[in-house]
Order: sequence, then structure tokens, then C-alpha cells
Amino acid sequence: MISCRDLTCRYGEFVAVDRLNLEIERGSICAFLGPNGAGKSTTVKMLTGLIAPSSGSASVAGLDVVRDALEIKKRIGVLPENLGLFDDLTVEEHLHLTGAVYQLSRADTRDRSNQLLRALHLEHGRYTFASRCSHGMRKKTSLAMALLANPQVLFLDEPLEAIDPVTAKTVTDLLVTLSQRGITVFLTSHILAAVEQFATRVVLIRKGVVAWNSTIAEVPGSLEKLYFDLVEAPAAEDLAWLGSSQS
Amino acid sequence: MVRVLAVLKAVWRAVWRGQGSFLSISTNNFFIFTAYLFRQQGVFLYLIIALLMLFPLSADPLRKIPAERLRLWPLNRREWWILRILSPWVNPMMWLLAAATIWAVRRSVTWQLLGIVAGMFALGFVLSDVGGGAWDGLARRVPGFGGQLRELIRKNLRQMLSTLDLWCALVLSVATTIYRVADRNTPPEGFLLMVLLVMLALSSYAQCLFGLDGEGGLTRYRLLPLHGWQILLAKDAAFLLVAVVLTLALNPLAGLAAALMVLAVGHEQSVKHLKPQIRWRFSSGASLGNGVVQVFTMSIAANGVARTSVLLLVPCAAIYAISLWWYGRTLEVK
Repeated sequence: MISCRDLTCRYGEFVAVDRLNLEIERGSICAFLGPNGAGKSTTVKMLTGLIAPSSGSASVAGLDVVRDALEIKKRIGVLPENLGLFDDLTVEEHLHLTGAVYQLSRADTRDRSNQLLRALHLEHGRYTFASRCSHGMRKKTSLAMALLANPQVLFLDEPLEAIDPVTAKTVTDLLVTLSQRGITVFLTSHILAAVEQFATRVVLIRKGVVAWNSTIAEVPGSLEKLYFDLVEAPAAEDLAWLGSSQS
Repeated sequence: MVRVLAVLKAVWRAVWRGQGSFLSISTNNFFIFTAYLFRQQGVFLYLIIALLMLFPLSADPLRKIPAERLRLWPLNRREWWILRILSPWVNPMMWLLAAATIWAVRRSVTWQLLGIVAGMFALGFVLSDVGGGAWDGLARRVPGFGGQLRELIRKNLRQMLSTLDLWCALVLSVATTIYRVADRNTPPEGFLLMVLLVMLALSSYAQCLFGLDGEGGLTRYRLLPLHGWQILLAKDAAFLLVAVVLTLALNPLAGLAAALMVLAVGHEQSVKHLKPQIRWRFSSGASLGNGVVQVFTMSIAANGVARTSVLLLVPCAAIYAISLWWYGRTLEVK
């Protein structure tokens, strides 16, 4: 469903993603993990048509990400890094915008919007302008937009960060259900313990290069240990002034 | 007191940095061309500009600090009151008002004028604190339209409403409409000139159509399964709607012709040279050269439609359609 061949992204001299090769099968939940600046969001941007690859190729749902960009957009749902919301639209209007652009009927848009607002605990803020929403509400709005048009592939950039535990549980349950129905999910996250519970494939990336790629069953021990071993180990600075009598 | 001074210093820095955003007027077509064409005769136009800028200039300086951050700082009640009393003096408008009061005492300025300016300053100050609800109410009343682009058009109308360009054009339009109703003997040429002034007030916005969308909005545009021309059309539809409504009582067909040309020329800057804009300011034009071409072509188009034939709208629409198609493609490639 998602395929990358030597996919590379350069910003001048800096190589953000270096010859990425991936095969993600239909109905899987792929967790794309790595530290900040490792190239996760850049990869998502290339796969969703937000930026063009410097070299290499990629396909989503059998379509080339450069040549068939418009067709791909009709088949995918995206939760982008910056959420992609308009300050001048309310939560509900964002969903109506999605329904109209994806040419759903007004009745379908209304029904699906109501269901998504309920499922994501957004009903109370449906008439709030995006500019006045909390970060969590904005994230949930963007997630609802990604789901509304019933996509074949979902690209979610850090979907579990900044949302409340109940909604996080709802989202993870939803993702499992979607994958069972054949929808492919490609997500980035920093919450390793949560991802370990529902992902079917794990890809670790470090400085733009894939450090690990396997099914979750093939991960030796815990995902956290693998991450610390292959990507980066935690280093704590002793901030001696914290907790001292000095204010 | 040390804490209050620290906060005041931060507010002062933020206010003075913010003053730079008012310089957007210096690259605005309306200001540049009226200053050039009318010089001293354009006093009433400069008064409109000053009047509109007075509102954002009067904003409460304490609004520069997020309310929650301000409440989190360990300030006691006395320090709060000192901050509340001293903070307005960080705003240069307050000093101007104080100077005007002294002039009024010395009879250089009338008390009536001082009262009007002070009243507007107070209104701007209070609105900046409690005006969010009023703006929400107005924004919610913006109607939606049919079709695939309905929500985008609604959003674009709201964005236009948050620029001073539209309010300037509205003041000109309403004032001329009242004049037209009151004096039925005014020659139609006078209204054509006012159509051009209304369009001139809106023209800089046509050079920065994506200026208020922010990074998130621009990302969303790239994710939507829409052609570039459709995204541009949603922008233009809002602009054309405003242009026609504001010239309805003057000469709507001339207004439409002028608006089509302003957009056709403005697409170049809007698509190729994205210039972020700030709400409640005049739009900053992206290019003086583009502004000159906008003014030249809109004058020819409006004059042609008003004086020669309505059929001249056809070539205007054709030029606009070519621009829409071309820059729509450019938008997709970007």
C-alpha cells in the first residue's frame, strides 16, 4: 500500500531523509519512530505530496506520489505536523469543508461530522473558531478531518501527543478497527509504550537513515529498549540548582 | 515594583516592535496612489485612513502578554493596579492624546475634536479587551455559499473582514451611497471615480490573497484534493463578492470589471511571492510595479465598461480566466 524506493530529501547540503526503502502492506499500522529532527515528518510530507522528493520514488495506494499527487490526495487522510487548520473556520466548519471538497453529500457530511465530534469528544467545541481552540482540540479537529472522507491510507503525524487519555484510547481503538477493515495507517509518535500496544510494524529512523524495520512481533524485548539501543540513549544533565535553597 | 517594571519593560518592547506592523500602509496601493494623485485635496481620504488605524493603535498594551501568562506571574493586588494604570502610557497614542489635551487647554485644538479622538481611543482600548466576542458574532454571520468551495469562500470573506482595506472601502462606499441618495443631480462620472477609489482600497489585498492563511492553512491547501485554480477561485469569489456589493449603489458593472483586472494582475504576487499579513492592518502590497499595473488596468476596464460598452466585461473576464488558469497551475507546482 505504501512503497518507497531510495526516497531521499535534501535541504541544501543537509540530507533529511537518506535513501529510504519501505514496503507497508495493506491494513497494517506502521509506527515510524525516531527523535526530533530524524526525518519522520519529512517522510510523511513526501508521501502526502507536501514536498517533492529530491530523488528516489514512492507510491501510495499504487499511485506515484509525484505524478499522481491529486489522485493520492483523494484516497488519503492526513494529520499534518502543523495540523493544517484555518483560524477563520470553526471546528464544525472544518469538517463541512472536508465533506464539500471530497464531494460527500450534505447529509453524509453532517452525519459523519456528528459521529466524529462525539467519538473524539469535540461536541462542546464544535462552534469554536480554530484560533480559539486548545492544542488538543485543534489536533482532534485535524484528526476528524483526516477520517471524514473514509480514506484508504491514513498518515498521522504524532496523533497521540497533546490529547487527553480517554480520547487517546478512543483513537488507538479506532486505528485498530480501521486496520482490521483494510485501512493502512502510517503514524509517527514519541509515545513508545502506547505505540507498542497497537502497531503491527515498527520502523526506527535516525538521522534520516532507517535503523530498524520489522513487524512488532520481531522486536526483541521492549520497543523502548530497542529505541534506546538503536536510536538514542537518555542522558540526564544534573541541574544542581533545582531543589536547592537558591530561588 | 521591580516586578511591575519588568513587566512594563516587556510590554513596552512588544508594543514598539508591534508599531512596525502599521508601516504596512506605506506599501498599500490606496495610500500610495491617493497621496500621489490627490496630495492636499485628499485630506478626507487620509482622515478615513487615520480613523481606521486609530482602532488597532488604541489597543490595550497589556494584551501583548498572553492573559494566562500574566495571571501566572506572582503579582500582588497593588502591583496589579500599578500595572493597569501605567501600562496604557506605554502606547504612543496615549502620549499623543495627552499632548492634544494640552493643546486643547491652550485652545489650539477644540474640545469637541479632542473628545471625539479620546472617545475613539477609549473605544479601541475597550474593544481590544472585550471585542473578541463581537468579532466572533460578526464572523459567524458571514453566509456560506453552495458548491464544493463554500466553506473556503466563507473563510476568505472572514479574512477580508479582518483587514482595514475592506473597512476603508466600506466607508467610501457607504458615504458615496448616502451622498447619491441625498443629491440626485450628481453626474455619473463622480460615481465612476468613487468605484475606482473603492477598488483602489481593495487592490493591495489582491496582491496577498494567501497572507492571512498562516502555515497551517497553506499546508491544508496542499492536502486538499483541489486544483490550484479552484483554490484561487475560492479566494477570488470572496473578493469579487465584496467588490460587487461595495459598488452596487455606484456602478456595479464597472466595479466588477475593475475587480477582475485587479485580481488578474494581483495573482502574480499572491501566488509567487507570499507575503504574510497581519489582521486589523492595511494590507501591505507586495510590489509597487504590480500596483501600478493594477491601477492602470482597472482604470481602463472600469472606464471602458462605464463609458463605452458593457460588452467590454467579456475581454476582462477572459483575461481574468487566463490569469486564473495560469497562476492556478503555478500554485500546484509550488
